[in-house]
Amino acid sequence: MATQTPARPRPDREEGPRGAAPRVRRRLFGIGLWMPATVAVLLCGLAWTAVAEDQPYLLPPLREVGTVLVEDPGLFLGNAWSTLRIALLGVSFGAGTAFVLSLVMSEVPVVRRAIMPLAVVLNVTPVVALAPALVVAFGFGMAPKVIVTAIITFFPVLINMTTGLRSVPVPVLHVFSTLHASRLEVLLRLRVPSSLPYALAALRVVFPLSIVGAVVAEFVAAGSSSGLGTMIRTSAATARLEYVYAAIACLAAMGVLMLALITVLERRLLFWHESQQ
Amino acid sequence: MTGDRIEVRGLTKAYEGADPLRPALHDVDLEIPRGRFVSLIGPSGCGKSTLLRVVAGLERHDTGTVSVFGSTPERMAAAKAVGLVPQSPALLPWQNVRRNVSLPSRVNRRAGRGSEDPDLLLRMVGLEDAARKYPHELSGGMRQRVAIARAFGIRPDLLLMDEPFSALDEFTREALQLQLLGLWERMSTTVLFVTHSVREAVTLSDTVVVMSARPGRVHEVLDVDLPRPRDRGVVTGPRLHVLEDRVRASLQTAWEAGAAPDDLVPL
Repeated sequence: MATQTPARPRPDREEGPRGAAPRVRRRLFGIGLWMPATVAVLLCGLAWTAVAEDQPYLLPPLREVGTVLVEDPGLFLGNAWSTLRIALLGVSFGAGTAFVLSLVMSEVPVVRRAIMPLAVVLNVTPVVALAPALVVAFGFGMAPKVIVTAIITFFPVLINMTTGLRSVPVPVLHVFSTLHASRLEVLLRLRVPSSLPYALAALRVVFPLSIVGAVVAEFVAAGSSSGLGTMIRTSAATARLEYVYAAIACLAAMGVLMLALITVLERRLLFWHESQQ
Repeated sequence: MTGDRIEVRGLTKAYEGADPLRPALHDVDLEIPRGRFVSLIGPSGCGKSTLLRVVAGLERHDTGTVSVFGSTPERMAAAKAVGLVPQSPALLPWQNVRRNVSLPSRVNRRAGRGSEDPDLLLRMVGLEDAARKYPHELSGGMRQRVAIARAFGIRPDLLLMDEPFSALDEFTREALQLQLLGLWERMSTTVLFVTHSVREAVTLSDTVVVMSARPGRVHEVLDVDLPRPRDRGVVTGPRLHVLEDRVRASLQTAWEAGAAPDDLVPL
């Protein structure tokens, strides 16, 4: 890693004099960072347990949720993978289409004027309402679920990329113009790299959305056999709340992992950008 | 023939939506022999940056002719014969210093124009140690030096500079001015330099073009007959101050000629 990028500043680079005093302060600061969140989580857990002891039909005891997860991790991993696959496929189709379209739209104004209203209408349409129709059309397989996820993730990427491709400082454009750079050169060497922060900001929104899309699609596709969304639906129908919450915990973990992935990507790709300094 | 000079004749340009009776540039005549260092100076709104952009081929004009060494600004740009240093360094933040300096060699290869070795250019502006750094790791003065090295990289016939030092502190600015003169003497190119600093104009130029506003036009053309090369001795000497005073006096009359009515109302 270090050999690839020797000149890159580390985000945690040290400033000021090194020594015992700052180190102690940093450790204390670290505690200050983690303590409030830990206390909050513990308090929530206690409240949860208090409710669960009293009324197990409201919330399952945390112990049972944990037991379910530990006893059959394969079940959850398999279903999580099934949902994750839909989410990732949906993102690649949705975001990929949006990316290509945004490039075309930035170069051909007619296309932008033609597509933008459609995209806005598609965005304000609750996609959940489309899902049953898609299931009728495409069956209980992956196709309708991937389509729902793709539609949900399409718009944020399109809007952000359109903004990003346009947000090029005028002086830089002037430098390219005096060099008589072609439109393709301006697009590839200037507009696309400039839009990278916008693209990653869109992915930060779109990755968690893709899980929402996949789960909603699984809810709607009554005949589907796998996925955390399906598991939540069937377990809730038989009042096995510990499975419902275990599946929800898996979904939350997937969301956190996705955000972590985006954060790592941003650190690597946007080391030059204001947001990382 | 006009192949050895930049010739601007009867240039008029009004911006859309602006008052057509007060164009940004009105009937501007200017002649710049090849190899000269010429500064444009004037109050804000006098069209000096507009004139620069027209000569760069970045903006169209309404009437009049602009000939750059017997060619049009557009054809000069197509041949990659024009270098531009804007007011902000306009570097690509995702590329390191060396890649930024060699950018001109990577775009518009059709022009078939050779370019200088980026390492040599960096050495000439004293940035050889910063080659692998990224723009955000540099000071403002260093960034502007990168922009200057980039502009010199194509060995331009014409170098256009739009207030390149205006955002720098005074010491950095003076150091960069001398460095620019050193580069210019080695690379022998024609420079059109927009500034609003009288001292900067006199220090750098062979000719100072004073412009006035509303409408933008050439007010006076003053020659700077200071010896070259201009080292610190020359640029701090008494002759420079005399010339500075002359430019300042010319600017004063230019400002009065073009002042808007509200400018003259005491607050």
